[in-house]
Amino acid sequence: MRRAGSNRLLIMLTLVALIPFSLPTLLVMFVGMMPTLGAALSDRSGSRYCWLCVGGLNFAGLANWLLFLWFGHHDISSAIQMLLGDHLMLMVAYGAAGIGWLLYMAVPPVVAAIQTGTTHRRAANLASQQKKLVELWGDEIRRASVPEIS
Amino acid sequence: MANEDKKASGVAVVLRERFIIFPGSPLPELALPSAQAFHAEERRDGGKGLFALIVRPGFPARTNVLRALKGVDSPGLMGLVEWGVVDWPPASRKVMALIYARPTGGRVAGSMTDIKRIEEADVMRKIITPVAAALKSLKTAGVTHRAIRPTNMFWATPERDRLVLGDCASVPPAYEQPSVVEPVESAMAMPAARGNGASPDDYYAFGASLAILLQGRNPGGALPDEAVIRQKTAQGSYGMLAGEARLPLPMVEILRGTLCDDESQRWDAEAMELWISGRRLTPLVAKIEKRAARAFVFSNREYFTARELAIAMAQSWDAVLQQIGDGKLELWLRRALENKEKADAVALALGSAGGAVDRRQAGEVTVARICMILDAGAPIRYKGISSMADGLGTLLAVTMVEGGDVKTIAEALMRDVPKAWFETRDSYNPDNSILDGMYRTQKGYLERATIGNGIERVVYEINESMPCISPFTVEDYVVELRDLLPALNAFAKKADGKGSPIDRHVAAFIAARASFEIERQMLDIALPDPTRATLAMLNLLALIQWRLGQGGLYGLSTWVTGLLGPAIASYHNRERRKELEREIPRIAKEGSLVDLSRLLDSPEERAADMRGFEAARMEWHQAYQQLQDIESGRVDVEAPIRTAQQVAALISLTLCFITVALLVISKIF
Repeated sequence: MRRAGSNRLLIMLTLVALIPFSLPTLLVMFVGMMPTLGAALSDRSGSRYCWLCVGGLNFAGLANWLLFLWFGHHDISSAIQMLLGDHLMLMVAYGAAGIGWLLYMAVPPVVAAIQTGTTHRRAANLASQQKKLVELWGDEIRRASVPEIS
Repeated sequence: MANEDKKASGVAVVLRERFIIFPGSPLPELALPSAQAFHAEERRDGGKGLFALIVRPGFPARTNVLRALKGVDSPGLMGLVEWGVVDWPPASRKVMALIYARPTGGRVAGSMTDIKRIEEADVMRKIITPVAAALKSLKTAGVTHRAIRPTNMFWATPERDRLVLGDCASVPPAYEQPSVVEPVESAMAMPAARGNGASPDDYYAFGASLAILLQGRNPGGALPDEAVIRQKTAQGSYGMLAGEARLPLPMVEILRGTLCDDESQRWDAEAMELWISGRRLTPLVAKIEKRAARAFVFSNREYFTARELAIAMAQSWDAVLQQIGDGKLELWLRRALENKEKADAVALALGSAGGAVDRRQAGEVTVARICMILDAGAPIRYKGISSMADGLGTLLAVTMVEGGDVKTIAEALMRDVPKAWFETRDSYNPDNSILDGMYRTQKGYLERATIGNGIERVVYEINESMPCISPFTVEDYVVELRDLLPALNAFAKKADGKGSPIDRHVAAFIAARASFEIERQMLDIALPDPTRATLAMLNLLALIQWRLGQGGLYGLSTWVTGLLGPAIASYHNRERRKELEREIPRIAKEGSLVDLSRLLDSPEERAADMRGFEAARMEWHQAYQQLQDIESGRVDVEAPIRTAQQVAALISLTLCFITVALLVISKIF
């Protein structure tokens, strides 16, 4: 927990240090990656993978306009114009973030379903293995193993 | 009678492939009260006059005497030609048969009251010389006769010129002896408890028989045993048996010498030889027991001698302690009988009984001890039993065979009554030390009540010739261990297959007769665990079969096979069990208990089974724990979800890098 906090602090400090040099980028990214920020703040899971999942695709959706900024006029006015004039950018960035969120939401239930199936199969295998052992060695192995159930 | 006639009259029984006994030809004139006589012949020499005595079924024949006397040629002994166990159709069982050279002159006396006088002139040649030789032969062989009486004496020839002593081995020592021909001490003992005794006992019996034959009457006549003993005690044996007879001096000498009540003074072989050779010996004067100055009143009767009082006490066991308390007996012994030693011993015995924890038990032993102190020569008397020191074994054997109560005998051994008897002896006797040690060992067996011990063990330990009286073997007269398995094998046909062939008697018999190590099997056989007890039973029988090299025990193997369920079940592996169930009947058909034992109790197989069981148990337990975890939800369900989230993040980041890379490339180029 303490380590996660120190990482976050490091990121924040890096971003603050970069502000004077890339304010236009930061402005676009701040607005364009609002879903990622929201995911990072709202994620209460132990693993905290939500912001990465949302952030990855969110950034992918925003990348085109960031490159346009970097390869074009990297100034505040271009950034503001881009934010206010180009609705497609926010739609793509937020849409991609949404897909990332969906990805984060959809994969674990699928894995859990697979896991449940595997567990049932394993339990059946274990019961079958026990039955075979009892057939070969008798009920004594039950009593010898677990005296309380004899 | 021709052989053919006899064979036609009944089935012939063969002993050791050499002698033929004809059950259809009884010879009552040669029979004994406990042994029937039958005509017998030798196969190769039918003309040789023989007869067979059939030992009463179950009775312990004196095998030590039989071994010693077989083939002994003495003019005064009926020659023992052979002995052994034979199938006896009239009783539908096996019995012990003794083959003797047949005396042809008839019995000397038909009964103890029907005595024919023998002329003094004939006595030396016809009776004394041959019997003296017989007694010497017996002494040389290290055995006693203990059955010398007019009714067990026979004329060897039709001319009646030589007397022979009859059989002495078909019954326990002195079992059929009337009190009149027994020394007072032996006469006081129960018939089955008179013990082997010693050579002087035979000389006494001969002297008593001689006195009866010389007078042509039995001075004991129809008197009961108690009266005979009382008269002998009061008058001395000579006085009672020949005191009133008018006999020539040489006869008086021999009678006084052989009928001397003091065993140490009694004539022996040497004295007898000197007398026969003509040397005149000073007649011994009977030593009568000292009479007290005043009587001791016990149970309203007056007694003047310690022996009479001891006899009375032994007959009124429960009343003794009440009537001799307050130092009354001690005072009587000290003042009236003037016997300080006995008085002190009685005081000591009564004093030690007072401090005992179990006063009733101590009281009973004290009464026995007081009887011993009062009459040092008397047998061991305890409650209802009266036995010579070496007679407890035969008493126990006969009591057991007759279905009597052996509790008192066991109690006497448990309470060290024989030891008390040995402690009250006037002088040291090495034989007593041996007997004392032997009885102490028997006490050890009695204290362990498990199978293979107890009173059954004692009876076989003390009686070398005791046949095994288990219901499984009783009809086969099993005296030696090598006869046991064939007997059990024969009984297997009749067995219901439920009980073990090793019952308490068989176990005790094996324990007493085995000359090899069987301690472990005997311990295991007594265990409550049926598996170990069954395996021990099988192993013990197999060990005997292997040590004695006896094969082909089909019946016994099949019998044992039916009892092996717990032993088979002791294997955990079901496949192994099935394999054993297939193999066992096959081996049983071969009659090999050894192979059965090897199959069922192989250490390698057992170790492999245990190892396999242990591994299976661990495997089962691990599966059980995993199932428990699954059922109780203890399985880490977060881990796969966490993995799934990682995967989702990875996909997202990968797509991000690909997109950025493609966009950068497209901008550059």
